[in-house]
Order: sequence, then structure tokens, then C-alpha cells
Amino acid sequence: MYQNYSLMELLGYKNHIINLYYFGKCGGKIIKIAIPRALLYYEYYPLWKSFFEALGAEVILSSKTTKDIMNDSIKYCVNDACLPVKLFHGHAKSLIGKADYLFIPRLKSIAKGEHICPKISGLPEMVKFSVPGLPPIIDTEVNLRKSKRSLKKSFFDAASYITQDKKNIQKAATLALSAHREYISALKSGKLPSELLENTHLTKPTASDLNIAVLGHSYNLYDSYSNINILNKLAAYKAAVYTPEGFEDALIDKYSRIKGKKMFWSLGKRQLGALFGYIERKMDGIIYIMAFGCGIDSFIADLCERYAKRNGIPFYLMILDEHSGEAGINTRIEAFTDMIRWKKRNENYNPAFR
Amino acid sequence: MTAYYVGIDVGSVSTNLVLLDEQEKVFSKLYLRTQGQPIRVLTEGLKLLKNVAGKDYTILGAGVTGSGRQLAATMTKADIMKNEITAHAIAALHCCPNVNTVFEIGGQDSKIIFICNGVVSDFAMNTVCAAGTGSFLDRQAARLNIPIEEFGGYALKSQMPVQIAGRCAVFAESDMIHKQQTGHSTEDIVNGLCMALVRNYLNNLAKGKTIKEPVVFQGGVAANVGIIAAFERELQVKITVPEHYDVMGAIGAALLAKEEVKNRATTFRGFDNLNSEFVAKSFECNNCANKCEVVELMQNNCAVARWGDRCGRWSSMDNEVKEKKVEKQKTATLA
Repeated sequence: MYQNYSLMELLGYKNHIINLYYFGKCGGKIIKIAIPRALLYYEYYPLWKSFFEALGAEVILSSKTTKDIMNDSIKYCVNDACLPVKLFHGHAKSLIGKADYLFIPRLKSIAKGEHICPKISGLPEMVKFSVPGLPPIIDTEVNLRKSKRSLKKSFFDAASYITQDKKNIQKAATLALSAHREYISALKSGKLPSELLENTHLTKPTASDLNIAVLGHSYNLYDSYSNINILNKLAAYKAAVYTPEGFEDALIDKYSRIKGKKMFWSLGKRQLGALFGYIERKMDGIIYIMAFGCGIDSFIADLCERYAKRNGIPFYLMILDEHSGEAGINTRIEAFTDMIRWKKRNENYNPAFR
Repeated sequence: MTAYYVGIDVGSVSTNLVLLDEQEKVFSKLYLRTQGQPIRVLTEGLKLLKNVAGKDYTILGAGVTGSGRQLAATMTKADIMKNEITAHAIAALHCCPNVNTVFEIGGQDSKIIFICNGVVSDFAMNTVCAAGTGSFLDRQAARLNIPIEEFGGYALKSQMPVQIAGRCAVFAESDMIHKQQTGHSTEDIVNGLCMALVRNYLNNLAKGKTIKEPVVFQGGVAANVGIIAAFERELQVKITVPEHYDVMGAIGAALLAKEEVKNRATTFRGFDNLNSEFVAKSFECNNCANKCEVVELMQNNCAVARWGDRCGRWSSMDNEVKEKKVEKQKTATLA
């Protein structure tokens, strides 16, 4: 009976029951917390959602990216930010008047010894001073660079806007972490964030002769508006699509070391790890989706290109910006899949194309 | 009776048509300026081709390519619709079977295609902007008041090229004006622009890749002797420009069509059927917040194709139904 529900809906339901049972938060004013559907939403939404809901708050999520959100993004954000950061502004703008607080955690580091994009660390200020009329911002700092112990403080910090009850906060944190683990293990079992969070399924080609790995930060891969639906487009060209989210952390860790050196950008590390993993699994081609102007990807995408080429795997770098025309992306995808098929046919039969 | 294959390349700047005979020789070619009106230019082009073909001919197949390929495919009911990269690679292989690198510079796109043993092994296209393409030269030629056809000749007369920023057409323009103001000759500035374009092209597309000879240079910009010279100076390799460099995309499309119709009859509408009037309209779909810009191609006031929507609501409308509607309307007007 649960098959028709997405993981998120089930989680929400579970949390709702827990709320009623444990905390009796059914009376009084329910605090509304807004979360923009952008950037690390694709990584942490189940965690944030179950945390706030367990505290008795209601979580308001912005809608999927639309033309209006895109227009607002460009209007409100500083001009030289990358597209995903701009989109975050648009999503934040769309939440004005819908909630008591806007949740923009200041993520400085999400794993030991690793860093995250500086724009994500500075996001609370960036949004606060760019978009007028926002509700008060919950800008909890999360910094796990030295150790995971500071996470507890972050949870208490975020919860302080809703309740001061230490016991409740502790319970909510435990629930949130287990929801996060559940989400991660669903990802590792081959589900995509878009399936788990939005219940939108990738159309799987019936018969595919191409295995294509699509690398890129999750917010570039799964926002189907800003990337012009690239995953489904690939499926339409009868390619089976593989993304980095399915890889075990241990494998990512192992693969992402180049000559023993650790890659210290968390999101870059995953791409690099997935790249080597997919090279080992002998993909037919690799596409890297990067936002124009991304500092991390200027290294990582280039490294990926070099290693893919060295291993004889066709590689294509797709750069996203505010373009909405499909023609350019269609041409590139068609040419890329054509090229691989032509190559494969040649390897198998050997006489030239005609 | 002679048999032909039709190749059509609807690009942003030019619309090219070719008739290939059965020996894959170019019987006739047309290079027309699109001028933002692909439908009108394509209709005219097909009429011209019909005149060239004479009275006794048959069309065995038709292929379309270029950024306007969807429009052209719907209008002509071509047998095959292919992207520009594949079409250009096929055409380059046809004229120079041992080619290893293809440079193609068109109006809005520039491409580099690497070929290994007769198969495309890698390609790159300009990313987010049109710097390093033909439109950049067009624009600067207009500023300098030189017809684009003579642009390359000026570059060859230059004694010393001036350094001009080539990253962006806007930067280049301001740089160029400064150089003009300080008294550099037009020839030197033109040469500087050619070198800027070549530098930009190589930095953007060929970055970190080895360019192996033979190199074939095609696309409209290959007409520019200044650019060819700049490429040869920069790379120290010999650049081959094929005889029909300006219509290579169309040749590739025709060759692909030949392959496609090997075992079947063509679906090509024929030259005459274009007498019916084609009009493209666009509207904003208001069914959801995405507000897609949908293009609708009308034949005799009846929609025959729609595209541009994200959800498929418009583009997946049954083509058969649309065709029938058109037929119905035709008989109605005849009666």
C-alpha cells in the first residue's frame, strides 16, 4: 500500500504521528519554517524536514523551479554568482509571506577535513542582503571540519527558534539523523533524489545499448528546469543513466584520492570518486554537468575530463547558465550519443560507417 | 531520368541546400542568408533547386540538419534529421577520407571534431556564448565598413597584426576602437581580429587536445583567407578547405539520407508541395508555472507541428490527426 507514496510523504506521516504521540504539539500556534528547494536541499531535505517536524514545526517547501522563480533569481542575485546560487535566491523570494522563519543553514563543512563551496558558506548573508522582505533567517552554523561533535550544537541552535526543551531537541535530532540515514541508504540502493523527494521518475528506456554516467553536483543534476531536463533527454535517446549518488561513501573515499592526495571539496570529491568508479565499470560515455562560473568544478571537471580521456572513455562537459533554449543541449546530446554508437558499431563490425 | 538526394542545412546565418547525384557528387548547391526567416528562405531555396533539377528528375531521399532542423524536417518531411556534428563529420570524411581534425566555424556555433580511423572520437562546441564564431567577424566587419567577403583579403595585406582581446565580442570591439584611435591601419586591425578569433577558438575548443593533420576547415568562415592564414601561423599545420566548404552540413545530411533510404522509399514531400503556406507562431503556454514558449508551425492555417514545451503536452499531439486536418481543409478549399 505504501508504493504510491514517496519516501518524503511517508516520512512526514511518520513524524506527524510521533509529534502527536510524544510531544502533544497539536494545540497552540504551529511555527512555520520555509526551506528553499535549491542547492543542498537535494542532500539534506529529509534531515531538515524531520528535525523541524519532530519539534512540532511545519515545513514549507518552495515549489519546483519555474520561469517566475528563474526570473526572480536573475533579478535579485548578484550578477556574477553561478546559476544554482541565483536559483536559491529565487526560491527564497518565492517563500516570502509563507512562513515565520526561513531556514538557510551556514554550511561551512559537511565532513571531516573537507570544505564546501564558499558561496554556500556565505549564503545566509548573501540572501539576506539581496532579497528584501524576507522573514527572519535561521542561519545555524554547521562546521564538521574538525569533528562531528559540533553537530549537536548546530541542532540546538536551529531548534532554539522553536523550543528550549532539551529533551525534545535531542529526540528530534536523533530522528532527523535516522531519516537522513534512511535517505542515504535509499540513494545507495539506486534511487535518485528526484524520485525520493519529488516522486518524479526517470523514464527508463525499454532497450538501451548505452550506459552513460552523468556527473555533477546534485543541485545541477536534479533540478530538471535549470538543466533543461537533461536526464530524461538522455533516456529519450535510449541511454541508461547513472549518477554519482549511488556510490558508497567508502568507495568514493577510496577512488577520489589522486596519487594519495585527498580531495577536500565535498561535492567535488563525490564527482571524482564516481568518475573512477564509473571508469572501472566501463561506462560508454561520461557527461559532466557544471554551472557556468563554478570554481570547484573548474578543477574537478577538468580532472575528470583528463582521466576519462586517458581511459579512452568519451567525455562531454555541459555548461549550464540561464539559457532556456533546448536546441543547443539537444544537439550536443544527440551528437554525443551518435558518436558513441558509431564508435561501438565500428569496434564490433569494423568496416567504416558507410 | 536523373536521381538526386537533397541535403538541407538550416543554420542561424545561412540556409544551405545541395542536390547530390547518385555518385555522391554535388550537382548543385545553394548558399542563402537565413536573415531570421528560415521558412521563407527554405521555401525559396527549394523552388530554386527545383528549377535547377530540370524536368526529368526523381528525389530518392532528403536529410536535414542545422539549428533549424526541426522546422525544416516538418516542412519537407525529410527522411532523416541529424545534428550538425554528425552531418559535418560525415561530409568531411566524404571529401577527405583520412581526415583527423575538422574545424567548423558557422554563424553562431563553432565546433571542433576529432576523427580517428574514420570515426568521430571527440568533439567540442562553443559553450555559452557566440564569441569566436562568424557573427563576431560579421559584426566587426560592419563596424569597420568592410564587406565581409573582402575581410580576409585585408588581413593578408597586413604588415604587423595588432593585439586585440578576443575573449568576448564586446571586449574586442572596445579594444579595436582604441587601436583605431591610436592610428593603426585597418589592415593590421583586421589581421588582429582574425588572430583573436583563432586564439579564442583554439583556447575554447581545442584546449589540451592534440590537433593531428590532415585538418579540414569548413563552414562559412572558411571563405576567409585571413582566418586560414591565422590558423596556419598559429598551429604550423596545413589547413585544407574543401571545394564545397560552405555547404558541408547539407552534404552530410544528403549522405545520411542516402544511407537512411537504402531499403525504403523516401517520405520527402517533394518540391511542389511547398506551395501551401507555412507560418510559424509562438505562444506562451499557461497551463503551469513553467510558461513554456511553444512554437506552432501552421500549414494553411492548420497546426502541423508544435515544439518548445517541457511537458510534451503540445509536442506529442498526434501528427496523423494534424495531417488529416490539413487534408480536410485542402479539399474544402478546392470544393
